[in-house]
Amino acid sequence: MKKLINIVAADDKNGLVSRLTRVPTNSYTMNMRSPPPKLLLVRDDEFLMHDTGRDHPESPARLQEVYRLLDRGFSGHRLPVGAIGILPPRPASREELTAIHSEEYLLRLEEAALAERGYLDHPDNRLSYDSYRVALLAAGAGPAAIDELEAKSATAAGALIRPPGHHAERAAPLGFCFLNNAAVATRYWQQRHGRKKIMIIDWDAHHGNGIQAAFEDDPEVFYLSIHEHPTWSFPGTGWSEERGHGPARGTTLNLPLTPGSGDEPVLRLLKEVVDPAMESFAPEALIIAAGFDGHRDDDMSGLAYSSGLYHHLGRHAATGAARYCPGRLLFQLEGGYQPALLATCLGNFLAGLLAAAAEET
Amino acid sequence: MPAENESLPGCTAPTPWPKPLTLPLPWPTAAKSEINQSKQQKEAGMDIKKYMSTPPVTIPPAMTIPAARSLLQSHHFRHLPVVDEQGKLLGMVTDRDLRSAYPSNILDQDSRQQLAQLQHKPVSEIMSRTTFTLPAAASIDDALLLLDRERIGALPVVDDQHRVLGIFSIRDLMGAYRRLFGLGERGSAMLTIIDDGSPRQLSRLGAALEAADIHFTRLLKIKGQEPEAGEENLIYLRVTTYNLPAVRKVLADAGFKGKNW
Repeated sequence: MKKLINIVAADDKNGLVSRLTRVPTNSYTMNMRSPPPKLLLVRDDEFLMHDTGRDHPESPARLQEVYRLLDRGFSGHRLPVGAIGILPPRPASREELTAIHSEEYLLRLEEAALAERGYLDHPDNRLSYDSYRVALLAAGAGPAAIDELEAKSATAAGALIRPPGHHAERAAPLGFCFLNNAAVATRYWQQRHGRKKIMIIDWDAHHGNGIQAAFEDDPEVFYLSIHEHPTWSFPGTGWSEERGHGPARGTTLNLPLTPGSGDEPVLRLLKEVVDPAMESFAPEALIIAAGFDGHRDDDMSGLAYSSGLYHHLGRHAATGAARYCPGRLLFQLEGGYQPALLATCLGNFLAGLLAAAAEET
Repeated sequence: MPAENESLPGCTAPTPWPKPLTLPLPWPTAAKSEINQSKQQKEAGMDIKKYMSTPPVTIPPAMTIPAARSLLQSHHFRHLPVVDEQGKLLGMVTDRDLRSAYPSNILDQDSRQQLAQLQHKPVSEIMSRTTFTLPAAASIDDALLLLDRERIGALPVVDDQHRVLGIFSIRDLMGAYRRLFGLGERGSAMLTIIDDGSPRQLSRLGAALEAADIHFTRLLKIKGQEPEAGEENLIYLRVTTYNLPAVRKVLADAGFKGKNW
């Protein structure tokens, strides 16, 4: 039971986490008399230590706001009492990382952080002394949560982490991402727990080029992404023409949306494209790359989703997992760059997920 | 001298074999040395030589039809230049020419005979002798206009002596424009800026981006096709950064207005 209790960062050099040290005894703290938590969330103030400097969209404030709401049990979102448990992360092991990244790149990343180079390869990818250590924790959060799911400690798990991961390539950082958290979790699930067919649904506003690159030759991993169209949007990949290679043809599915698209096309795609894809693939585990930057008020994309869409997305994830892979649903935080908005949309997502999970059990 | 073609000044209509034609450049007054030194063209990467398929697979006129057919099938392309001993272009054979030379699949007596004859027929009997070509100094725009006008799939690129240097197909054309537009270049995003017609716009834009150390790979200025219907003139800018709010701020501070941002 001990590991389910939140551990506050012991080494708080920058005083960033002082606000968060008042660990509340509210609804999310495990209680022996309450039923087992349905949702485990990886949370650690260490994630605030990845310092991207001034005026950077991928700031510690994003998670600070998320954790602030979490500490209040997402009180505005009417989550079922006792439904959330907290799980600390662990660093990803060398072996878990090299399933996705090259040794040479890992050394390069570590060196850039420890030598305080400021950024790696492109000024977008800013890092600080602690960034390598924090990135290992972000990549290890998925495996830590997967172990709990496989031990049946929860019906679903989520990783509230940064830096995000879905743009990171085998040997290069891109778009604020250093280690590909979703790809590491996918391989871990397969290799450690023998779940063969993994489906990744990525509805961050941007295409997860790194996840796609990791699995476009692998028919056992289905990567499906709904994102703003690559003609306009970063990173400029994810055309619907990209469908996977060789035996994996068809297990990559890109669903680009034109700038300005709102909830309606997403809901239609879920029903008309995502559901049939899930049915034919029949995943043994489901990973959601959960980015909240498609919201109309997030200026990192031209998409125009409402906050309410994330409730639907939460429901959709829980329903899909209940049907094909009960107890094996993991979501990992990707983008979402307006801190308060991110926290609200995440709350809606959790509410939808838990409501559907309650109906399914 | 053949008549000038109406739709593409400087280009010529083909004449029948045995004199395959190389189309003159659309800038016929430019001397060769000038073209070679045309810095702008080289930097823009518009040169046909950069994108054509080389070395070209060519065949002699005496090659049999079945041999040509199996050559095409094994190479996954559709056009074969037919050349003489000096490598000079005599004509072109396409997969369509070869397919239509064969009898239908349902073999009656006549067809079997026809098929037997085909085994020894040379490609020179079916090749098309009126062939459009491009000179080595042509640009990919020349190729686009000619391929589009003639509705053909590929053009041989030839030197002064009509020796085939390479083949430029519609596929190569798509690859060329794909590269020029930066399609699929990982790590970039496109911003649309309203062109308000104010002076020195592009230099101001470049200076603002440079001062902020924001890199870009494409800058297109496009006139609205229907200004009377309110269609604006636009500037498309492809930047290589994810930090778009920072780019928009730099542009706004420099007096630019974005479309939809």
